[in-house]
Amino acid sequence: MIEFQNVTLAYNSLRVLDDISFNVRFHERIAILGGSGGGKSTIIRLMLGLLRPDSGKILIDGQDITVLSESALREYRMKFSIVFQEGALFDSMNVRENVAFCMREYLNLSEEEIENRVRELLKMLGIENAIELMPEELSGGMQRRVAIARSLAECSPKMMLYDEATTGLDPLTADNICNLIKDLSTGELPDRVGFVLVTHKVTDAVKVAERYMYLKGGIIDFDGDLEALRNTDDPELRTFISELFTAEGKT
Amino acid sequence: MNIKETTSKLQDFYILSFKAPFGIFRKPFYFHDIVEQMDYAGTGSFFIVFLVSLFIGMALSLQTSVELGELGLKMYTGRIVGLSIIKEIGPVLIALCFAGRVGSGMASELGSMTLGHQVDILRVHGVSPLKKLVTPRVISAILMLPVLTVIGDAISLAGGYYIAVFVSHQSGSFYWSQIKEIMDFENIFSGVIKPFIFGYLIACISCYMGLSTKGGAQGLRKSTTTAVVYSIIMIIVSDFMLTRVLIYAFGMSV
Repeated sequence: MIEFQNVTLAYNSLRVLDDISFNVRFHERIAILGGSGGGKSTIIRLMLGLLRPDSGKILIDGQDITVLSESALREYRMKFSIVFQEGALFDSMNVRENVAFCMREYLNLSEEEIENRVRELLKMLGIENAIELMPEELSGGMQRRVAIARSLAECSPKMMLYDEATTGLDPLTADNICNLIKDLSTGELPDRVGFVLVTHKVTDAVKVAERYMYLKGGIIDFDGDLEALRNTDDPELRTFISELFTAEGKT
Repeated sequence: MNIKETTSKLQDFYILSFKAPFGIFRKPFYFHDIVEQMDYAGTGSFFIVFLVSLFIGMALSLQTSVELGELGLKMYTGRIVGLSIIKEIGPVLIALCFAGRVGSGMASELGSMTLGHQVDILRVHGVSPLKKLVTPRVISAILMLPVLTVIGDAISLAGGYYIAVFVSHQSGSFYWSQIKEIMDFENIFSGVIKPFIFGYLIACISCYMGLSTKGGAQGLRKSTTTAVVYSIIMIIVSDFMLTRVLIYAFGMSV
Protein backbone atom coordinates (compact mmCIF):
# COMPACT_ATOMS: atom_id res chain seq x y z
CA MET A 1 0.00 0.00 0.00
CA ILE A 2 1.25 3.47 -0.90
CA GLU A 3 -0.11 6.35 1.16
CA PHE A 4 0.39 10.03 0.43
CA GLN A 5 -0.44 12.06 3.55
CA ASN A 6 -0.76 15.84 3.16
CA VAL A 7 2.12 16.01 0.70
CA THR A 8 3.21 19.45 -0.42
CA LEU A 9 6.02 20.22 -2.83
CA ALA A 10 7.13 23.45 -4.47
CA TYR A 11 9.78 24.16 -7.08
CA ASN A 12 11.12 27.55 -5.97
CA SER A 13 7.95 29.62 -5.58
CA LEU A 14 5.77 27.36 -7.75
CA ARG A 15 3.64 25.02 -5.64
CA VAL A 16 3.33 21.80 -7.68
CA LEU A 17 1.54 19.63 -5.11
CA ASP A 18 -0.62 21.27 -2.49
CA ASP A 19 -1.44 19.15 0.55
CA ILE A 20 -2.54 16.07 -1.40
CA SER A 21 -3.55 12.80 0.20
CA PHE A 22 -4.49 9.49 -1.42
CA ASN A 23 -3.92 5.74 -1.11
CA VAL A 24 -2.90 3.30 -3.79
CA ARG A 25 -2.79 -0.49 -3.59
CA PHE A 26 -0.03 -2.27 -5.49
CA HIS A 27 -2.49 -4.26 -7.62
CA GLU A 28 -4.40 -1.20 -8.86
CA ARG A 29 -4.33 0.00 -12.46
CA ILE A 30 -4.22 3.76 -12.19
CA ALA A 31 -3.95 6.58 -14.68
CA ILE A 32 -2.88 9.99 -13.43
CA LEU A 33 -4.18 12.61 -15.83
CA GLY A 34 -3.46 16.30 -16.01
CA GLY A 35 -1.97 19.07 -18.08
CA SER A 36 1.73 19.68 -18.62
CA GLY A 37 3.50 20.91 -15.49
CA GLY A 38 0.61 19.76 -13.32
CA GLY A 39 2.74 17.58 -11.04
CA LYS A 40 1.85 14.16 -12.51
CA SER A 41 5.43 12.99 -12.95
CA THR A 42 6.32 14.52 -9.59
CA ILE A 43 3.98 12.02 -7.91
CA ILE A 44 5.82 8.99 -9.25
CA ARG A 45 9.19 10.57 -8.50
CA LEU A 46 7.99 11.03 -4.92
CA MET A 47 6.83 7.40 -4.77
CA LEU A 48 10.36 6.31 -5.66
CA GLY A 49 12.02 8.68 -3.23
CA LEU A 50 13.74 10.54 -6.09
CA LEU A 51 12.27 13.73 -4.65
CA ARG A 52 11.50 14.64 -1.06
CA PRO A 53 8.36 16.59 -0.28
CA ASP A 54 8.50 19.94 1.53
CA SER A 55 5.98 18.57 4.01
CA GLY A 56 3.81 15.51 4.48
CA LYS A 57 4.50 11.78 4.57
CA ILE A 58 4.74 9.08 1.91
CA LEU A 59 4.23 5.64 3.40
CA ILE A 60 5.08 2.46 1.53
CA ASP A 61 3.89 -0.63 3.38
CA GLY A 62 3.71 1.55 6.50
CA GLN A 63 7.25 2.97 6.26
CA ASP A 64 7.66 6.71 5.75
CA ILE A 65 10.17 6.84 2.90
CA THR A 66 10.73 10.60 3.17
CA VAL A 67 13.03 10.05 6.15
CA LEU A 68 15.07 7.21 4.66
CA SER A 69 18.63 7.48 3.38
CA GLU A 70 19.49 6.74 -0.25
CA SER A 71 20.75 3.25 0.62
CA ALA A 72 17.74 2.42 2.80
CA LEU A 73 15.42 3.47 -0.01
CA ARG A 74 16.62 0.65 -2.25
CA GLU A 75 14.44 -1.91 -0.49
CA TYR A 76 11.34 0.20 -1.24
CA ARG A 77 12.38 1.13 -4.76
CA MET A 78 12.68 -2.59 -5.54
CA LYS A 79 8.89 -2.82 -5.28
CA PHE A 80 8.61 -0.63 -8.39
CA SER A 81 9.90 -0.47 -11.91
CA ILE A 82 9.77 2.73 -13.87
CA VAL A 83 9.69 3.56 -17.56
CA PHE A 84 10.38 7.20 -18.40
CA GLN A 85 8.96 9.07 -21.36
CA GLU A 86 12.04 8.84 -23.58
CA GLY A 87 13.06 5.46 -22.20
CA ALA A 88 16.09 6.93 -20.39
CA LEU A 89 18.35 4.31 -21.95
CA PHE A 90 22.09 4.60 -21.30
CA ASP A 91 23.21 6.03 -24.60
CA SER A 92 26.75 4.69 -24.33
CA MET A 93 25.48 1.10 -24.21
CA ASN A 94 23.74 -1.07 -26.79
CA VAL A 95 20.38 -2.74 -26.15
CA ARG A 96 21.97 -5.88 -24.68
CA GLU A 97 24.07 -3.89 -22.21
CA ASN A 98 21.15 -1.65 -21.27
CA VAL A 99 18.93 -4.61 -20.40
CA ALA A 100 21.77 -6.49 -18.70
CA PHE A 101 22.93 -3.43 -16.71
CA CYS A 102 21.00 -4.10 -13.52
CA MET A 103 21.60 -7.85 -13.66
CA ARG A 104 25.34 -7.20 -13.79
CA GLU A 105 25.09 -4.80 -10.86
CA TYR A 106 23.18 -6.93 -8.41
CA LEU A 107 22.63 -10.50 -9.54
CA ASN A 108 25.34 -13.12 -9.40
CA LEU A 109 24.66 -14.56 -12.81
CA SER A 110 27.06 -16.00 -15.35
CA GLU A 111 27.43 -14.25 -18.71
CA GLU A 112 25.50 -17.08 -20.33
CA GLU A 113 22.59 -16.71 -17.92
CA ILE A 114 22.53 -12.95 -18.45
CA GLU A 115 22.54 -13.39 -22.23
CA ASN A 116 19.69 -15.89 -22.04
CA ARG A 117 17.63 -13.66 -19.76
CA VAL A 118 18.21 -10.61 -21.99
CA ARG A 119 17.17 -12.54 -25.12
CA GLU A 120 14.14 -13.95 -23.33
CA LEU A 121 12.98 -10.47 -22.28
CA LEU A 122 13.60 -8.92 -25.69
CA LYS A 123 11.72 -11.79 -27.34
CA MET A 124 8.80 -11.32 -24.98
CA LEU A 125 8.65 -7.66 -26.00
CA GLY A 126 9.12 -8.42 -29.69
CA ILE A 127 12.43 -6.65 -30.20
CA GLU A 128 14.96 -9.50 -30.14
CA ASN A 129 16.44 -8.29 -33.45
CA ALA A 130 17.47 -5.00 -31.86
CA ILE A 131 19.89 -6.60 -29.38
CA GLU A 132 23.03 -5.13 -30.97
CA LEU A 133 21.60 -1.68 -31.73
CA MET A 134 22.48 1.52 -29.92
CA PRO A 135 19.66 3.62 -28.36
CA GLU A 136 19.92 6.35 -31.02
CA GLU A 137 19.24 3.73 -33.71
CA LEU A 138 15.91 2.77 -32.13
CA SER A 139 12.50 4.28 -32.81
CA GLY A 140 10.54 5.86 -29.92
CA GLY A 141 8.40 2.76 -29.45
CA MET A 142 11.41 0.43 -29.46
CA GLN A 143 13.21 2.62 -26.93
CA ARG A 144 10.28 2.29 -24.57
CA ARG A 145 10.15 -1.48 -25.08
CA VAL A 146 13.85 -1.73 -24.25
CA ALA A 147 13.23 0.44 -21.18
CA ILE A 148 10.43 -1.93 -20.13
CA ALA A 149 12.73 -4.93 -20.67
CA ARG A 150 15.40 -3.28 -18.53
CA SER A 151 12.89 -2.50 -15.80
CA LEU A 152 11.85 -6.16 -15.69
CA ALA A 153 15.36 -7.59 -15.86
CA GLU A 154 16.52 -7.24 -12.30
CA CYS A 155 13.52 -8.03 -10.16
CA SER A 156 9.82 -8.80 -10.13
CA PRO A 157 8.20 -5.48 -9.26
CA LYS A 158 4.92 -5.20 -7.39
CA MET A 159 3.97 -2.14 -9.39
CA MET A 160 5.06 -0.60 -12.69
CA LEU A 161 5.33 3.15 -13.09
CA TYR A 162 5.00 4.60 -16.59
CA ASP A 163 5.87 8.26 -17.04
CA GLU A 164 4.22 9.41 -20.29
CA ALA A 165 4.97 6.00 -21.81
CA THR A 166 2.78 6.57 -24.87
CA THR A 167 3.45 10.26 -25.44
CA GLY A 168 5.05 11.18 -28.74
CA LEU A 169 4.28 7.85 -30.39
CA ASP A 170 2.13 7.21 -33.44
CA PRO A 171 -1.33 5.73 -32.66
CA LEU A 172 -0.38 2.17 -33.66
CA THR A 173 2.80 2.11 -31.58
CA ALA A 174 1.01 3.78 -28.67
CA ASP A 175 -1.67 1.08 -28.93
CA ASN A 176 1.02 -1.61 -28.86
CA ILE A 177 2.57 -0.07 -25.76
CA CYS A 178 -0.89 0.07 -24.11
CA ASN A 179 -1.38 -3.64 -24.84
CA LEU A 180 2.03 -4.33 -23.38
CA ILE A 181 1.20 -2.34 -20.25
CA LYS A 182 -1.95 -4.43 -19.84
CA ASP A 183 -0.15 -7.71 -20.55
CA LEU A 184 2.50 -6.96 -17.94
CA SER A 185 -0.16 -6.31 -15.32
CA THR A 186 -0.41 -10.03 -14.67
CA GLY A 187 -1.47 -12.20 -11.75
CA GLU A 188 -4.67 -12.68 -9.81
CA LEU A 189 -5.99 -10.13 -7.34
CA PRO A 190 -4.74 -9.14 -4.82
CA ASP A 191 -1.25 -10.18 -6.04
CA ARG A 192 -1.62 -8.69 -9.49
CA VAL A 193 1.19 -6.40 -10.69
CA GLY A 194 -0.48 -3.01 -10.83
CA PHE A 195 0.66 0.14 -12.53
CA VAL A 196 0.51 3.90 -12.43
CA LEU A 197 0.37 5.45 -15.88
CA VAL A 198 1.08 9.15 -15.96
CA THR A 199 -0.28 10.62 -19.15
CA HIS A 200 -2.20 13.47 -20.71
CA LYS A 201 -3.58 11.17 -23.43
CA VAL A 202 -6.91 10.17 -21.99
CA THR A 203 -7.65 7.80 -24.90
CA ASP A 204 -4.60 5.73 -23.98
CA ALA A 205 -5.45 5.85 -20.28
CA VAL A 206 -8.94 4.37 -20.78
CA LYS A 207 -7.48 1.41 -22.69
CA VAL A 208 -5.57 0.21 -19.65
CA ALA A 209 -6.60 1.85 -16.40
CA GLU A 210 -9.39 1.14 -13.90
CA ARG A 211 -8.93 4.15 -11.64
CA TYR A 212 -8.38 7.71 -12.79
CA MET A 213 -6.94 10.69 -10.97
CA TYR A 214 -6.97 14.19 -12.39
CA LEU A 215 -4.48 16.77 -11.11
CA LYS A 216 -5.31 20.43 -11.30
CA GLY A 217 -3.44 23.30 -9.62
CA GLY A 218 -1.52 20.97 -7.33
CA ILE A 219 -4.58 19.16 -5.95
CA ILE A 220 -6.36 15.95 -6.93
CA ASP A 221 -9.44 17.33 -8.60
CA PHE A 222 -10.91 13.95 -9.49
CA ASP A 223 -10.40 10.38 -8.27
CA GLY A 224 -12.70 7.67 -9.53
CA ASP A 225 -13.48 5.01 -12.13
CA LEU A 226 -14.24 5.40 -15.84
CA GLU A 227 -17.97 5.75 -15.30
CA ALA A 228 -17.48 8.60 -12.84
CA LEU A 229 -14.94 10.19 -15.19
CA ARG A 230 -17.43 10.15 -18.07
CA ASN A 231 -20.15 11.69 -15.92
CA THR A 232 -18.04 14.37 -14.28
CA ASP A 233 -19.60 17.84 -13.94
CA ASP A 234 -16.26 19.65 -13.82
CA PRO A 235 -16.19 21.72 -17.04
CA GLU A 236 -12.38 21.80 -17.17
CA LEU A 237 -12.12 18.04 -16.77
CA ARG A 238 -14.85 17.54 -19.39
CA THR A 239 -12.78 19.65 -21.78
CA PHE A 240 -9.68 17.64 -20.90
CA ILE A 241 -11.40 14.34 -21.67
CA SER A 242 -13.31 15.65 -24.69
CA GLU A 243 -10.91 13.65 -26.85
CA LEU A 244 -12.44 10.58 -25.23
CA PHE A 245 -16.00 11.58 -26.19
CA THR A 246 -14.87 12.35 -29.72
CA ALA A 247 -13.17 8.97 -30.03
CA GLU A 248 -16.21 7.15 -28.60
CA GLY A 249 -18.56 9.10 -30.88
CA LYS A 250 -16.55 8.06 -33.90
CA THR A 251 -16.60 4.46 -32.75
CA MET B 1 19.71 32.85 -4.92
CA ASN B 2 19.10 32.97 -1.18
CA ILE B 3 21.48 32.01 1.60
CA LYS B 4 19.71 28.72 2.33
CA GLU B 5 20.01 27.60 -1.28
CA THR B 6 23.66 28.64 -1.53
CA THR B 7 24.53 26.83 1.68
CA SER B 8 22.69 23.73 0.51
CA LYS B 9 24.55 23.75 -2.82
CA LEU B 10 27.91 24.23 -1.13
CA GLN B 11 27.11 21.39 1.24
CA ASP B 12 26.23 19.11 -1.69
CA PHE B 13 29.45 20.09 -3.43
CA TYR B 14 31.58 19.38 -0.36
CA ILE B 15 29.90 16.01 0.18
CA LEU B 16 30.50 15.07 -3.47
CA SER B 17 34.11 16.26 -3.33
CA PHE B 18 34.78 14.38 -0.12
CA LYS B 19 33.07 11.11 -1.00
CA ALA B 20 34.05 10.79 -4.66
CA PRO B 21 37.74 9.82 -4.29
CA PHE B 22 37.00 7.38 -1.47
CA GLY B 23 34.46 5.56 -3.64
CA ILE B 24 37.37 3.62 -5.09
CA PHE B 25 37.91 1.79 -1.78
CA ARG B 26 34.34 0.49 -1.42
CA LYS B 27 32.45 -2.14 -3.39
CA PRO B 28 31.23 -2.27 -6.08
CA PHE B 29 34.39 -1.28 -7.98
CA TYR B 30 34.00 0.29 -11.38
CA PHE B 31 37.51 -0.28 -12.75
CA HIS B 32 36.25 -0.57 -16.31
CA ASP B 33 34.67 2.89 -16.02
CA ILE B 34 37.89 4.30 -14.54
CA VAL B 35 39.95 2.92 -17.43
CA GLU B 36 37.41 4.27 -19.94
CA GLN B 37 37.54 7.72 -18.35
CA MET B 38 41.34 7.64 -18.20
CA ASP B 39 41.39 6.90 -21.90
CA TYR B 40 39.03 9.80 -22.62
CA ALA B 41 40.80 12.25 -20.32
CA GLY B 42 44.38 11.15 -20.98
CA THR B 43 44.81 9.67 -24.44
CA GLY B 44 42.07 11.88 -25.83
CA SER B 45 43.76 15.04 -24.55
CA PHE B 46 47.24 14.17 -25.80
CA PHE B 47 46.97 16.01 -29.12
CA ILE B 48 45.79 19.32 -27.66
CA VAL B 49 48.43 19.10 -24.90
CA PHE B 50 51.12 18.37 -27.50
CA LEU B 51 50.22 21.38 -29.64
CA VAL B 52 49.71 23.85 -26.82
CA SER B 53 52.89 22.80 -24.99
CA LEU B 54 55.04 22.85 -28.10
CA PHE B 55 54.01 26.34 -29.12
CA ILE B 56 54.09 27.85 -25.64
CA GLY B 57 57.61 26.40 -25.16
CA MET B 58 58.73 27.89 -28.47
CA ALA B 59 57.12 31.28 -27.79
CA LEU B 60 58.62 31.48 -24.33
CA SER B 61 62.07 30.56 -25.62
CA LEU B 62 61.77 33.15 -28.37
CA GLN B 63 60.75 35.94 -26.01
CA THR B 64 63.39 35.03 -23.43
CA SER B 65 66.15 34.84 -26.03
CA VAL B 66 65.31 38.33 -27.30
CA GLU B 67 65.21 39.90 -23.85
CA LEU B 68 68.30 38.12 -22.52
CA GLY B 69 70.12 38.79 -25.79
CA GLU B 70 69.91 42.51 -25.10
CA LEU B 71 71.63 41.93 -21.75
CA GLY B 72 74.17 39.52 -23.24
CA LEU B 73 72.80 36.62 -21.20
CA LYS B 74 71.18 34.61 -23.99
CA MET B 75 72.82 31.38 -22.82
CA TYR B 76 70.53 31.34 -19.77
CA THR B 77 67.42 30.91 -21.91
CA GLY B 78 67.19 27.23 -20.93
CA ARG B 79 67.21 28.06 -17.24
CA ILE B 80 64.40 30.60 -17.44
CA VAL B 81 62.30 28.56 -19.88
CA GLY B 82 62.78 25.44 -17.75
CA LEU B 83 61.86 27.12 -14.48
CA SER B 84 58.79 28.84 -15.95
CA ILE B 85 57.52 25.72 -17.67
CA ILE B 86 58.14 23.20 -14.90
CA LYS B 87 56.98 25.28 -11.95
CA GLU B 88 54.22 27.45 -13.32
CA ILE B 89 53.23 27.63 -16.96
CA GLY B 90 53.17 23.89 -17.68
CA PRO B 91 50.85 22.81 -14.83
CA VAL B 92 48.52 25.82 -15.17
CA LEU B 93 48.29 25.85 -18.95
CA ILE B 94 47.67 22.13 -19.26
CA ALA B 95 45.10 22.28 -16.45
CA LEU B 96 43.29 25.06 -18.32
CA CYS B 97 43.27 22.94 -21.50
CA PHE B 98 42.07 19.98 -19.43
CA ALA B 99 39.25 22.05 -17.94
CA GLY B 100 38.19 23.20 -21.39
CA ARG B 101 38.24 19.78 -22.97
CA VAL B 102 37.62 17.20 -20.24
CA GLY B 103 35.79 19.35 -17.64
CA SER B 104 33.27 20.61 -20.15
CA GLY B 105 32.85 17.05 -21.45
CA MET B 106 32.16 15.74 -17.94
CA ALA B 107 29.65 18.49 -17.17
CA SER B 108 27.76 18.13 -20.45
CA GLU B 109 27.72 14.32 -20.33
CA LEU B 110 26.45 14.15 -16.75
CA GLY B 111 24.07 17.05 -17.42
CA SER B 112 22.61 15.24 -20.39
CA MET B 113 22.27 12.05 -18.32
CA THR B 114 20.52 14.01 -15.57
CA LEU B 115 18.07 15.65 -17.95
CA GLY B 116 17.45 12.32 -19.72
CA HIS B 117 16.58 10.63 -16.38
CA GLN B 118 19.52 8.20 -16.74
CA VAL B 119 20.80 9.29 -13.33
CA ASP B 120 17.32 8.67 -11.89
CA ILE B 121 17.35 5.18 -13.39
CA LEU B 122 20.66 4.47 -11.63
CA ARG B 123 19.17 5.62 -8.32
CA VAL B 124 15.98 3.59 -8.83
CA HIS B 125 18.07 0.48 -9.37
CA GLY B 126 20.13 1.19 -6.26
CA VAL B 127 23.30 2.21 -8.11
CA SER B 128 25.02 5.20 -6.54
CA PRO B 129 25.55 7.89 -9.21
CA LEU B 130 28.43 9.16 -7.10
CA LYS B 131 30.28 5.85 -7.28
CA LYS B 132 29.30 4.92 -10.80
CA LEU B 133 29.70 8.32 -12.47
CA VAL B 134 31.70 10.69 -10.28
CA THR B 135 34.39 8.47 -8.73
CA PRO B 136 35.76 7.19 -12.07
CA ARG B 137 35.92 10.74 -13.43
CA VAL B 138 37.63 12.16 -10.34
CA ILE B 139 40.15 9.32 -10.18
CA SER B 140 40.90 9.56 -13.89
CA ALA B 141 41.44 13.34 -13.65
CA ILE B 142 43.69 12.99 -10.58
CA LEU B 143 45.81 10.37 -12.37
CA MET B 144 45.85 11.67 -15.92
CA LEU B 145 46.43 15.40 -15.45
CA PRO B 146 49.88 14.89 -13.80
CA VAL B 147 50.83 12.48 -16.61
CA LEU B 148 49.73 15.01 -19.23
CA THR B 149 51.59 17.76 -17.38
CA VAL B 150 54.87 15.81 -17.34
CA ILE B 151 54.50 15.02 -21.06
CA GLY B 152 53.53 18.63 -21.80
CA ASP B 153 56.53 19.97 -19.86
CA ALA B 154 58.88 17.73 -21.84
CA ILE B 155 57.34 18.87 -25.14
CA SER B 156 57.59 22.54 -24.10
CA LEU B 157 61.24 22.14 -23.19
CA ALA B 158 61.87 20.44 -26.54
CA GLY B 159 60.10 23.33 -28.30
CA GLY B 160 62.22 25.79 -26.33
CA TYR B 161 65.33 23.83 -27.33
CA TYR B 162 64.41 24.05 -31.02
CA ILE B 163 64.11 27.85 -30.87
CA ALA B 164 67.21 28.30 -28.68
CA VAL B 165 69.44 26.19 -30.92
CA PHE B 166 68.08 26.64 -34.47
CA VAL B 167 66.72 30.19 -34.30
CA SER B 168 68.68 31.89 -31.55
CA HIS B 169 71.87 29.91 -32.37
CA GLN B 170 72.70 28.94 -28.79
CA SER B 171 74.54 25.87 -27.60
CA GLY B 172 72.20 22.90 -27.31
CA SER B 173 74.25 21.10 -24.69
CA PHE B 174 74.37 24.25 -22.53
CA TYR B 175 70.57 24.59 -22.87
CA TRP B 176 70.08 21.07 -21.52
CA SER B 177 72.75 21.51 -18.83
CA GLN B 178 70.80 24.56 -17.58
CA ILE B 179 67.59 22.51 -17.53
CA LYS B 180 69.40 19.70 -15.67
CA GLU B 181 70.65 22.17 -13.11
CA ILE B 182 67.16 23.33 -12.15
CA MET B 183 65.81 19.78 -11.88
CA ASP B 184 66.04 19.62 -8.09
CA PHE B 185 63.45 18.18 -5.71
CA GLU B 186 61.84 21.52 -4.84
CA ASN B 187 61.24 22.53 -8.45
CA ILE B 188 60.01 19.14 -9.62
CA PHE B 189 57.77 18.72 -6.58
CA SER B 190 56.31 22.23 -7.05
CA GLY B 191 55.43 21.41 -10.64
CA VAL B 192 54.15 17.88 -10.12
CA ILE B 193 51.99 18.37 -7.02
CA LYS B 194 49.83 21.03 -8.65
CA PRO B 195 48.19 18.90 -11.36
CA PHE B 196 46.95 16.41 -8.76
CA ILE B 197 45.07 19.23 -7.03
CA PHE B 198 43.94 20.83 -10.29
CA GLY B 199 42.64 17.50 -11.63
CA TYR B 200 40.68 16.88 -8.45
CA LEU B 201 39.15 20.38 -8.53
CA ILE B 202 38.25 20.25 -12.24
CA ALA B 203 36.58 16.84 -11.95
CA CYS B 204 34.64 17.69 -8.76
CA ILE B 205 33.40 21.03 -10.09
CA SER B 206 32.46 19.60 -13.49
CA CYS B 207 30.70 16.53 -12.08
CA TYR B 208 28.78 18.62 -9.55
CA MET B 209 27.67 21.09 -12.21
CA GLY B 210 26.65 18.24 -14.51
CA LEU B 211 24.62 16.43 -11.86
CA SER B 212 22.86 19.62 -10.77
CA THR B 213 21.75 20.51 -14.31
CA LYS B 214 18.17 21.70 -14.59
CA GLY B 215 16.08 23.26 -17.30
CA GLY B 216 16.69 21.59 -20.67
CA ALA B 217 19.16 22.73 -23.31
CA GLN B 218 19.60 26.16 -21.78
CA GLY B 219 20.30 24.62 -18.38
CA LEU B 220 22.86 22.30 -19.96
CA ARG B 221 24.61 25.25 -21.61
CA LYS B 222 24.65 27.09 -18.30
CA SER B 223 26.02 24.17 -16.29
CA THR B 224 28.74 23.41 -18.85
CA THR B 225 29.82 27.05 -19.05
CA THR B 226 29.74 27.42 -15.27
CA ALA B 227 31.81 24.26 -14.84
CA VAL B 228 34.55 25.57 -17.12
CA VAL B 229 34.49 29.10 -15.70
CA TYR B 230 34.62 27.93 -12.07
CA SER B 231 37.35 25.41 -12.94
CA ILE B 232 39.48 28.12 -14.56
CA ILE B 233 39.03 30.45 -11.60
CA MET B 234 39.83 27.68 -9.13
CA ILE B 235 42.95 26.64 -11.08
CA ILE B 236 44.35 30.16 -11.04
CA VAL B 237 43.43 30.87 -7.43
CA SER B 238 44.64 27.52 -6.10
CA ASP B 239 47.85 27.88 -8.13
CA PHE B 240 48.65 31.10 -6.30
CA MET B 241 47.80 29.57 -2.94
CA LEU B 242 49.83 26.42 -3.62
CA THR B 243 52.77 28.48 -4.79
CA ARG B 244 52.60 30.50 -1.57
CA VAL B 245 52.40 27.35 0.56
CA LEU B 246 55.25 25.64 -1.31
CA ILE B 247 57.51 28.67 -1.02
CA TYR B 248 56.83 28.70 2.71
CA ALA B 249 57.23 24.92 3.05
CA PHE B 250 60.61 24.90 1.26
CA GLY B 251 61.82 27.87 3.32
CA MET B 252 62.43 30.11 0.31
CA SER B 253 62.49 33.85 0.82
CA VAL B 254 60.33 36.08 -1.36
